[in-house]
Amino acid sequence: MGDTFSWWGIVSAIGVLTGLGIIFGALLGMASERFKSEENPLVEQINALLPQTQCGQCGYPGCRPYAEAINQGDALNKCPPGGDATIHALADLLGREPAPLDGEAAIDDTVAFIREAECIGCTKCIQACPVDAIIGAAKQMHTVIEDECTGCDLCVAPCPVDCIDMLPRSKPLTQWQPLVSASGIIASDRPHARSAHARL
Amino acid sequence: MPAFEFPGGIYPPERKARSNQSQLQVAPLPALVTLPLKQHAGNAATPCVAVGDSVKVGSLIAQRDGMISASLHASVSGTVTQISNTAITIEADGLDSWHTMPSLDWRIAAPATLLERLDSSGLTGLGGAGFPTYIKAQVAEHHAIDTLVVNAAECEPYITADDLTLRSYPADVLEGAQLIARLCGAQTIIIGIEDNKPEAISALEHALPQAQHPAAIVLKVIETRYPSGSERQLIKKVLNRDVPSGGLPADVGTLCHNPGTLLAALHAVRDGEPLVERIVTLTGEAVSTPGNYWIRLGTSVASLLNGVGLMSGQLHQVIVGGPMMGNPLATLDTPVTKTTNCLIAATLAELPPAPVESPCIRCGACESVCPAQLLPQQLHWYARAENDSTLETLNLFDCIECGACSFVCPSFIPLVEDYRLAKQRIRMKQIETAKSDHAKHRFEFRQARLAREDAEKQARRQARLAQTQKPSTSTADDHSTPEVDLRSLRIAQAAAKAAVKKAEKVLARAAEKDPKQRFDDLETQLATAQENLKAAEARLANARDNAIHKDTP
Repeated sequence: MGDTFSWWGIVSAIGVLTGLGIIFGALLGMASERFKSEENPLVEQINALLPQTQCGQCGYPGCRPYAEAINQGDALNKCPPGGDATIHALADLLGREPAPLDGEAAIDDTVAFIREAECIGCTKCIQACPVDAIIGAAKQMHTVIEDECTGCDLCVAPCPVDCIDMLPRSKPLTQWQPLVSASGIIASDRPHARSAHARL
Repeated sequence: MPAFEFPGGIYPPERKARSNQSQLQVAPLPALVTLPLKQHAGNAATPCVAVGDSVKVGSLIAQRDGMISASLHASVSGTVTQISNTAITIEADGLDSWHTMPSLDWRIAAPATLLERLDSSGLTGLGGAGFPTYIKAQVAEHHAIDTLVVNAAECEPYITADDLTLRSYPADVLEGAQLIARLCGAQTIIIGIEDNKPEAISALEHALPQAQHPAAIVLKVIETRYPSGSERQLIKKVLNRDVPSGGLPADVGTLCHNPGTLLAALHAVRDGEPLVERIVTLTGEAVSTPGNYWIRLGTSVASLLNGVGLMSGQLHQVIVGGPMMGNPLATLDTPVTKTTNCLIAATLAELPPAPVESPCIRCGACESVCPAQLLPQQLHWYARAENDSTLETLNLFDCIECGACSFVCPSFIPLVEDYRLAKQRIRMKQIETAKSDHAKHRFEFRQARLAREDAEKQARRQARLAQTQKPSTSTADDHSTPEVDLRSLRIAQAAAKAAVKKAEKVLARAAEKDPKQRFDDLETQLATAQENLKAAEARLANARDNAIHKDTP
């Protein structure tokens, strides 16, 4: 009995395990301090799925605040520029049920255009633009940088002379896409004009 | 040296005899040419003429825009009648007066001069993709090139343009190859040619002994098998080198050029002629005199086909390029461009439309013919399901769209069309993501700027307040500033400083990797971090001032 049971064995085992616990606890503590990320990674992922138009149609001042709100449990379906695609992507990410879009879907990709002859140079649109896409100065004509504009239409309402239009965005030639008719499920319903790969 | 093998491949009916029996001819001058501004990879060219200007053959009418782009020249002499967003139209005066550049001797001219000439003559690859030649010649700056491969395989059925080019101008093509080899520093030139072109091979053999200087030229006759004319497959076949996935031939020390491009390069340098005409195969059962023709760019397909005896009654469709990779034309009112190598006017019996598609039976025939060693069947499922992330892990972008899988599919599934659509969809998604990232960074920058301005305004206000109140007692301090936690502000300032350093490092690393690129987004991120730092510093200084004021009385 004396060989198999010794206080020394028990005490040393407890001591070793406690020591290990303290060492690894300290290591983990240091690592979490050292490699702390200030941002919630889930918020980042949600934000990456949002279209970044910064339009505020969801009721939050920008896409990031909405991402934070979604993380807190807000509804997924408040983003009209993203449309159904964004709702489904968010539902996939968060494991929630997709809901129909709350609001009217954006019909087309648009861009703001200032009718420069009518602009009075009030700078109100410049202050409203969330991405600094409008250039101009007080009492000078303003204009929109098309490539930077996200089409959020936040500049339209503040304009005192209503000289801002939302126009369809011109598509560069390089982004041309072939028109694809939704292929019928039954093969024989499909049109025969599939001649690009005619058989030799 | 044995010929090495690439995997897969098919043996479609060749049908080259229809167009390679007659000599190379010159097509009549067109009365009107329509020159699209984008006939090449990259950005469209910018017009530099006005409506009503009179131009000569070879006059510059559109300037290249950006790095990957090519200039455009008038292909007939006459008057510019229309400039639209996509094309310039010139009405010919029939005089055909030329505007050529001074002749250069490629053996003695400086490489920079030669590159500038290739650039200013608007030269692009004439094989298919239309990549600007001067950029391809510049790869020697970043890569060590030892071998120039002349791609004379011309593996697609029907097309014989390279065959006739080599038969008619063997010495000029070899001289052009020497010119490009000198520019890119290649010591060896290998001509890869399929064994179904005996006349071109004998013409080359005749010309070879006189053209061995400065680089040694080797002629390699390879077995006729589609798609040996694809860049990667040909390099594998003649050199046994594997171009890495997503890489370029330059990564394995080679450069690949089409004989037509080499001939055009020589014309540009030796004769000072910009790229205004090319050799095109006009063939198919629906034309009575098929053959190869020198054709001015911008000539309409309808007038060309009518010139070679188009039988409109029998015409089923016109295909630009070969039957495997080409595209059917929706309208014959289409101009010939720098990348048009073949026009097939096919009858219904010749190229019948594909039968109705049936479900995939998982026979695996597509997998065994794929020259890129992909899994066409898997790609098919995931492309139809729009599962883009899986498509990318299955290396969809290594697909060369050769059409071998569609050709052998017993269910007549248009596999390549699925892949093309999927590729386009993924590319559009990438553009969208880049755009939204850009907007996000601009938004963050604006937020940081507003915060900084606010903090600075606050600081100025504090300073004003402090000044006005100094003469009197400083009891007002308690209600003017709430107690600010100095420590948390200091931490925020340190974090902002670290963020600036990190953004600087990321930008520097990216710039080091690719110095020619622009990094607007990374610069915006750096500016955002700097704004944040300034705001944090302003707030910290403000709080310190307050603390000092509190302590002093």
